[in-house]
Amino acid sequence: MPTFTINGKKIKVEDGKTILQAAVSNGVEIPHFCFHPHLSIDGSCRMCLVEVEKIPKLTIACNTPVTDGMVVQTETEKVLEARKAVMEFLLLNHPLDCPICDQAGECRLQKYTFEHGIPHSRFRENKKPGRKRFKIGPRVIFDEERCILCRRCVRFCREVSKTNELAVFSRGDKSIIDTYPGRPLDNKYSINTVDICPVGALTSVDFRFQVRVWFLEETNSVCPGCSNNCSIRICHRRGKIYRLLPRKNMEVNKVWMCDEGRNTYKPVGDNHRLTVPLVLKGNKLEEVSWDEAFKVMAEGLEKGKKGDFIGMGSPHATNEECYLFKKLSLEILKGKSVDFEAPTWEADDFLIKKENAANPEGARRIGIKAKDGLSVKKTIEEINEGKLKKMYIVGNEIIRDAETKKDILLSLSKLNFLVAQDTHLTDLCSVANVVFPSATFAEKEGTFTNINGRVQKINMAVPPPGEARSDLEIFGEAAKAMGRPFDSVEPTMIMEEISKNVKGFKKVSYDKLGDTGIKISAK
Amino acid sequence: MELYLTKNFKKPKSQTLDTYLKNGGYKAAQKALKKMKPLEIIEEVKKSGLRGRGGAGFPTGLKWSFMPQGNKTPKYIGCNADESEPGTFKDRQILESEPHQLIEGLVIGAYAMGVKACYIYVRGEYVEQARTLQKAIDEAYKKNYLGENIFKSGFECDIYVHRGAGAYICGEETGLMESVEGKKGQPRKKPPFPAGFGLWGYPTTINNVETFAQVPHIINNGANWFKKIGTEKSAGNTIFGISGHVKKPGTYELPMGYNLKDLIYKVAGGIRNDNELKAVIPGGSSTKVLPASMVDVKMDHDSLMQAGTSLGTGAVIVMDHTACMVRVGIILSHFYRHESCGQCTNCREGTAWLHQILVGIENGQGKMEDIDLLLDIAGKMEASTICALSDAAAWPVQGLVKHFREEFEMHIKKGKCTCPESFEV
Repeated sequence: MPTFTINGKKIKVEDGKTILQAAVSNGVEIPHFCFHPHLSIDGSCRMCLVEVEKIPKLTIACNTPVTDGMVVQTETEKVLEARKAVMEFLLLNHPLDCPICDQAGECRLQKYTFEHGIPHSRFRENKKPGRKRFKIGPRVIFDEERCILCRRCVRFCREVSKTNELAVFSRGDKSIIDTYPGRPLDNKYSINTVDICPVGALTSVDFRFQVRVWFLEETNSVCPGCSNNCSIRICHRRGKIYRLLPRKNMEVNKVWMCDEGRNTYKPVGDNHRLTVPLVLKGNKLEEVSWDEAFKVMAEGLEKGKKGDFIGMGSPHATNEECYLFKKLSLEILKGKSVDFEAPTWEADDFLIKKENAANPEGARRIGIKAKDGLSVKKTIEEINEGKLKKMYIVGNEIIRDAETKKDILLSLSKLNFLVAQDTHLTDLCSVANVVFPSATFAEKEGTFTNINGRVQKINMAVPPPGEARSDLEIFGEAAKAMGRPFDSVEPTMIMEEISKNVKGFKKVSYDKLGDTGIKISAK
Repeated sequence: MELYLTKNFKKPKSQTLDTYLKNGGYKAAQKALKKMKPLEIIEEVKKSGLRGRGGAGFPTGLKWSFMPQGNKTPKYIGCNADESEPGTFKDRQILESEPHQLIEGLVIGAYAMGVKACYIYVRGEYVEQARTLQKAIDEAYKKNYLGENIFKSGFECDIYVHRGAGAYICGEETGLMESVEGKKGQPRKKPPFPAGFGLWGYPTTINNVETFAQVPHIINNGANWFKKIGTEKSAGNTIFGISGHVKKPGTYELPMGYNLKDLIYKVAGGIRNDNELKAVIPGGSSTKVLPASMVDVKMDHDSLMQAGTSLGTGAVIVMDHTACMVRVGIILSHFYRHESCGQCTNCREGTAWLHQILVGIENGQGKMEDIDLLLDIAGKMEASTICALSDAAAWPVQGLVKHFREEFEMHIKKGKCTCPESFEV
């Protein structure tokens, strides 16, 4: 472990660390553009030049390994001059269009111009024109004039997505970033290039011009797109979500997320949301108060014989919801549960996992998706045979498959009583007797368990729309209406119960989850 | 003055193996492979004081000693025959007239460093020269001076000719390696250094053509013989290439430290039409210009450094009174703007800016403060990038402004060129 001195402070560093890495981990800021901790070192922007004793020239901090006894200065006049020079060079041909640039507010070039630049330009020549608003891929817009050629995007496509669409073409001041002919920037991870672009050269088709970034609040959460559960930040303002960004979690997604995952915020704010409880009156669903909805539910579920009830949970529900719904279905309503399958899509060898739902692993571990439960097929058979007469369905997994949807809806319509609890108005509601409007992942608190057994916390970023409530609250009220209220419906209290009662969760509690979660032990 | 590098150049068929053997060729390689240990050779080269002839003048023996011993991994030699520095055409003479000198030097170097494969990176425009070189290599293979078990010593070595495609930057050693690997010619950041991580990630040493060509003579005649030639810190003969407004432009083999004034007036026959000498670029386009008043200087690394410039590749470009220094600046800065690989900010933007300002001055749009701006930009391009192209672009501008400031001021004041009969850009 070498010891070196940076700005007069002696620091011990792990072997093989560069000056920049050592500086960052010790709170010394060295400005840089091309260096990115999860990409190979480029060394070309020259912004991180620092002074190292016994080396006559300034040295780039990003590519210089720390050696024992090295003495580094990051704020000498020589260093500051060098930074100023790089800033001036970078701004020569830059359009200086911050007022209309979507990157403004989270732009390194802008930030460093304030911190290290000179307030005027000595460049009297004409600025080099470049392609504007060029759709370099279906989800990414490229503005060549703003590009500083740091090549982070090129390295991302080479090293992380391994799709190799981008390269620097031509040379010298004619250098441009472009795609290879016929290969647009269209990979499953393409929007990461927008995240890592330190300037406004690459912007997201989806996000650009929606909102100024400084108005956004951020809430830590987890992507519900698949069972990988990438750590994310939900960026929102006044109850509306504008984008999801990946959040660093070395155990799950490093600093990346897939393009599809970034879309998972869209259903949260769409206009198919259920906002009021509904009750079937005659042959029409009518808006009612929560009190009335629960009353109707209790009456409906109390009728009938023992054993004719079945509950179906959701692979999208949190661990806490799975746990509480299991209690509701099995203990209070004395029924069975459905052994459902989570929807699947094509997985890859990076972040995208096969199960296209937030918490199938949690559902399995907690047992709402119970091995001893009935399969969907068997459930439908028993409904058709008249053995099952009452059902409580959370979510709409059961009608996801377009091929079987019609038959399943027909069977469900044969039930005496169906409670549907969902975030969106779907065809399932049309066969339900009571519909409870619930909250999406962005509107509630809880935990997901990813495919590798990592439990991570989600937090409420925006309130649920209208009168919609969190699933836990709804289960709580439902239990109360059945005359057997739960002790608590607070997520943190339920996790305490889970950790006592569910195998593997022993170490899990909210105050231990932190930002990156805890891996639970094997089954 | 004893010639050894070029003494056979004018002989008929000097490029053939027969002629080379008649003149004592491959004796050094035989001696090295059969009678010397690899480390002895490196020691001998170190002792000789040979410095790289590609421009930077790095001690060759020292460079060779950086290569790891043993043969745990493949190791490579790259021979830099890219010769892309404007004004330089000495390696071309070697390739054309006596390529076996280079091949022999490579075999000795390969043996000394335990290398089994050498790549000669030949400038793309050297079409004929590459053919001549390939013929010579083929001849050497036939005689088993290359290939397996050379001179029955058990040592094997292959040489491959790799032709460039016309980029200045591929003459930078790590840019050259990228190019050999089939990638875009862009210098690599250091560390890692070539001796540890070179071609395809294996230890590699890159030397200039003339550097390798010097080696057989050192082995034949000994380090002490070599050290006596030239100056204390710049040993041996070198091939100066002189061009521009002289009566007899061409290549001349002379000892290091030869007087520049003598080179121009005695060797190259003086200035064309006996015009007045105005300026000399002493070592290729990247070296700082010297005004006529400073040409009484020795052509070696230290003397020229004292004069504020450098020996570079020993490519002397002579300019008489008709040469407009602003236009010289435009030509040089355009070259570097065109050839910058574009990786590093300072070089990519700086080379273009220098050129644009100079063109502005030429076109009558210059302002007085532009002159200091040129110096300021050049200063910020120096010592700040991955490779030395940025420096190479900055130095000529610095030299021109330093020695010919009035001429720049005159251009700006008059809004046009006032030089007599100046050439067009």
